[in-house]
Amino acid sequence: MRKQLRKVLCTFLPGGNEMNGKKTISWYLFNGVKFREFPILLYILIMVLFFSFTTPGFWAVRNFENLSRQIAVVGIVSTGMTLVVLTGGIDLSVGSILAFSISIGGRGIPLGRPMWIIYPVILLLGTLLGFINGVLITRIAVPALIITLGTMNIFRGITMVITRGIYITPIPPEYTLIGRGYLPFFFLLIVILLFMFVTLRTRLGRNIYAIGGGEQASLYSGVPVVKYKVVVYTLSGFLSAFSGLILVGRSGFIQPQAGVGYEMNAIAAVVIGGTSIFGGSGSVLGTFFGATLMGLILTGLTMQAVDPYWQGLVTGILVVLAISLDSLRQIRGRGQLISKR
Amino acid sequence: MITFDHISKNFPGVRALDNVSFSVERGEVHGLVGENGAGKSTLIKILSGIITDYEGRIFIDGQAVSFRSPHHAQSLGIATIFQELTMISELPVFENVFLGREPVLWGGIVDRNSMREKSQKVLRYLDSNVDPDTLVGRLSIANQQIVEICKALVLNAKVIVMDEPTSSLTEHEIERLFSLIQRLKDAEITVIYVSHKLEEIFRICDTITVLRDGKCIGSVKRETSHPGEIIRMMVGRSMNERFPPRERKQGEKLLEVRGLSRKGELEDVSFSLYRGEIVGFAGLIGAGRTELARALCGATCPHTGEIQVGQKIFCGFSHPREALQAGISYLPEDRKGEGLVSCLTVRENLVLAILREISSHLWLNNRAESKIVDRFVKNLQIKIYHPDQVVETLSGGNQQKVVISKLLATQSEIFIFDEPTRGVDVGAKYEIYKIMNDLTQEGKGLIFISSELPEILGISDRIYCMKGGRLVKEFYCEEATPESIMYVLTGGK
Amino acid sequence: MKNILTSQTKIIIALIVIDAVIMVFLTLLSPTFLTYGNIVSLLTRMSELGVLAVAVTLTFISGGFDLSIGAVMAFSGMIAGYSTLLGLPLFFSILFALLGGAVIGLANALLVVELRLQPFVVTLATMTMVRSIVYGFMRGKTITAFPDSLLSLGDKYVLGIPLLFIILVLCAILAFMLLKKTILGRYIFALGGNERTAFLSGVPVRTMKYFVYVLSGLLSALAGLLLVIRIRAAIPDAGLNAPLEVITAVVIGGTSIKGGKGSLLGSLLGVFAMFLLINGFSLLGLNPFWSVIILGTVLIVVVGQEGIMVPFIALLHRKVRS
Repeated sequence: MRKQLRKVLCTFLPGGNEMNGKKTISWYLFNGVKFREFPILLYILIMVLFFSFTTPGFWAVRNFENLSRQIAVVGIVSTGMTLVVLTGGIDLSVGSILAFSISIGGRGIPLGRPMWIIYPVILLLGTLLGFINGVLITRIAVPALIITLGTMNIFRGITMVITRGIYITPIPPEYTLIGRGYLPFFFLLIVILLFMFVTLRTRLGRNIYAIGGGEQASLYSGVPVVKYKVVVYTLSGFLSAFSGLILVGRSGFIQPQAGVGYEMNAIAAVVIGGTSIFGGSGSVLGTFFGATLMGLILTGLTMQAVDPYWQGLVTGILVVLAISLDSLRQIRGRGQLISKR
Repeated sequence: MITFDHISKNFPGVRALDNVSFSVERGEVHGLVGENGAGKSTLIKILSGIITDYEGRIFIDGQAVSFRSPHHAQSLGIATIFQELTMISELPVFENVFLGREPVLWGGIVDRNSMREKSQKVLRYLDSNVDPDTLVGRLSIANQQIVEICKALVLNAKVIVMDEPTSSLTEHEIERLFSLIQRLKDAEITVIYVSHKLEEIFRICDTITVLRDGKCIGSVKRETSHPGEIIRMMVGRSMNERFPPRERKQGEKLLEVRGLSRKGELEDVSFSLYRGEIVGFAGLIGAGRTELARALCGATCPHTGEIQVGQKIFCGFSHPREALQAGISYLPEDRKGEGLVSCLTVRENLVLAILREISSHLWLNNRAESKIVDRFVKNLQIKIYHPDQVVETLSGGNQQKVVISKLLATQSEIFIFDEPTRGVDVGAKYEIYKIMNDLTQEGKGLIFISSELPEILGISDRIYCMKGGRLVKEFYCEEATPESIMYVLTGGK
Repeated sequence: MKNILTSQTKIIIALIVIDAVIMVFLTLLSPTFLTYGNIVSLLTRMSELGVLAVAVTLTFISGGFDLSIGAVMAFSGMIAGYSTLLGLPLFFSILFALLGGAVIGLANALLVVELRLQPFVVTLATMTMVRSIVYGFMRGKTITAFPDSLLSLGDKYVLGIPLLFIILVLCAILAFMLLKKTILGRYIFALGGNERTAFLSGVPVRTMKYFVYVLSGLLSALAGLLLVIRIRAAIPDAGLNAPLEVITAVVIGGTSIKGGKGSLLGSLLGVFAMFLLINGFSLLGLNPFWSVIILGTVLIVVVGQEGIMVPFIALLHRKVRS
């Protein structure tokens, strides 16, 4: 009886099932559904059902457009964060990198610089800041948390000092093109698919998992750990800047306070998506679902006229739930640790 | 092939390697022997590119090389199979085999099919039925070791270094490993075989190099040598001087363990310990000795069974504090990880387990503390210049003495010593044996866990052999020989 | 003895020198700096972050991590404010505010100990949650309806020293006694230095973790009250930058984020140095965000000191050899 219950429970834990066994087409069709992200899909379904019954106007086209755009910005940042968390690190500076790149790069807009210069400059700035993060983290034997806590404030501080807190507005209409309709969501899908491919099929991706699963073992096996860690933080910076572009397109102005609190949303999407905060297991697809679930819940609450001030509470609770489930699974998987009574 | 030229390496408090020079010929099986702490592991870490700051030079085929990283060492054709396996348990076998050198098609895309096929091929060559798609975490230790060997073979290594490869293998698996090494030798691959088990060394090695206390004592050909010579080289004195003389006497029963079981770790373990006795526990890695010690000291709680200390019966302890109060104290095998708080001082470490006893309510009693510390520093001759010295800066032997003092201070009746001589030099080993003898003279009982058979045979009064979480045989000191114990441990009944 | 004492005392002496240099510098730059009024206001403003620094030092030494301190500050201010609005007597508002902090600390401890979660993720989450609760209730407004008996504490002086600063000094002394003179302090150091060793040596590891996190919550709540007294209002943004500021100050003061090492005096000197810097920036009329940039940089440089220096020295050695 208890075993049965546990089995049922396992299905609902993200990552409760692992792929195993022989691979035929029917295996992919049937067992493929039992992949570790499946439970989150279920939660998404439940939320959709819940809101469609309780919230009038949930099925409105406008709402979905809104929802898709909201998911897009957080989702792209979270994809970068997923890579970082998979290596066993963390990046608190994503929001600051976003603000830095669009605020500094966007200073060319009032000067009338063309878009084909502005966009690459913004992306380049984000990449550069990510690279700085990566170099610092691999050079200094200090947890990534502390380093990125530092750079988060440095980047934000520089942004505020240079812009003096002033918005850049209005911006030319061609910049808002990227934020219209379902375009942001389309970009998110491309990013997700690209990085799913990267993590599952490329050398970089497989080694990211290896580093998170055992950094020392990877190093001893000849994985260029330092190089890949730098790459991962650089990618995270790049993706932050990219989502900044979409944010600019969506909102129609550039503010230096953009992206405050994004690190929490991104971490939430990542851990809700079943990626272990200890690194080594998880997936980009899961993060996509995680971001979707969070976006659903947050917009749903907003439509229920819940004050947006409470969003942090919801995010926090979701994060605590997700990491608790992950930790419980770890405890069960590893057996008793020494400090357990 | 490989020449080591005056290699030296210092760690804080220890000179791990001291001007080591020797060469390894192409296509030979080169044995590297020495006791624990002789510097074998350090040398391997240098050869595999993990330690990069050392003195001296290494030549490969006459060319001086300096390894920048493990990756670099591998690209020069040196593959190492470490004692603690370097696997990622969340990844499947074939990805582990190619970890760090995945074949790529284009644009960094890994060629999974060829990885799977090649590892399948190598696994078959090794007569193994491991499925390349299983997650490594689900394999047994022996199978994981085979995957490690796979890793080295796939690399097309010219040199394969094996660090204690047999420490967790059964007799049958060891046979397979040896036939494999023979095949590697036929394929002109050089094998550096690190071990402290002499019979293995004499079976497969062509040349044997002996390390002792970080120094290279010498290299000999197998044909012209015999085990006695190697032992003398390893130990630096003859066997009977290694252990202090010991007077055997058996008092009343101190501890009786009945039917102790813990799922997946221990199965129905029953034994007893008398006053004035040293009971040795022999076994391979993973045989359950440390698990037994942990259950006895309260780190884990047994599921069934009972522990009788004197007249009191416990069904396990829920916290080490309870075990300490019952009079059982435990010296962990991992000194740095579990025995010491490295960043604290000698004094703080020494009284850690008896803080409550020497303080009034919550307030520390500095005078009582200093008195105890001074007493143990004097009695055990711990070499420090002040009790407030940080333990990190002490040598291995002195660190171990601090841990032992911590246990002695608890005034326990029963002591569990898990690998007490690991990583300490020969002189300190002798002193530790002496401390153990003195304890039994005072009527305490000692449980002694060690992987080094000579040690166990040298000072135990009785020896229990453990295998797969069970006690399989009990020997009295007089009837035990290394061969008979090894036979029991590796498969015989 | 030489080793640990010199490294600790070295840091403290260095901090005293740095503080002195900044003070001399500021005196030369601005005639208003070395006035009694400015120094007193400096000490008063320092008191709440000082109390937070005590809390963070304790958690760091025990090998833990608490990001929720700033949010707890705002939380306790809010509780005190609402209790006053409900007409509860002053004693109860203070009590409830402190209890509120302790409850958050307890929640952190529960998650860290029972579910074995990483302290930083847990406290990052509780930080977000608590801050959201504060925003949700206060909706960006401030509460100013505090009784004069509470607010007048901010104007009290003992021997010319502001009372709030004296509260900080008292907290620091008590914490110092706890760490150095009691068995609990020894346990905290051992726990932070090596949890497994501490456990095997019979240290009540779990109890100590609860103790530290609850204490951290309590002290943060106290800091929140000090802030309320100083600015005469409870604001939802209280302690927004506190994690960065306090962690930086504590780390500058020689407390290791890995646990087992640290000094309260160093932390307080670190806070003082930080305040001198911020004060200096405002005296010089610079953008206040400069201080954020500098704090972030200092954090990375100080924490990474060893990390940067060791490979550097190794590189030099290698160059010399070859």
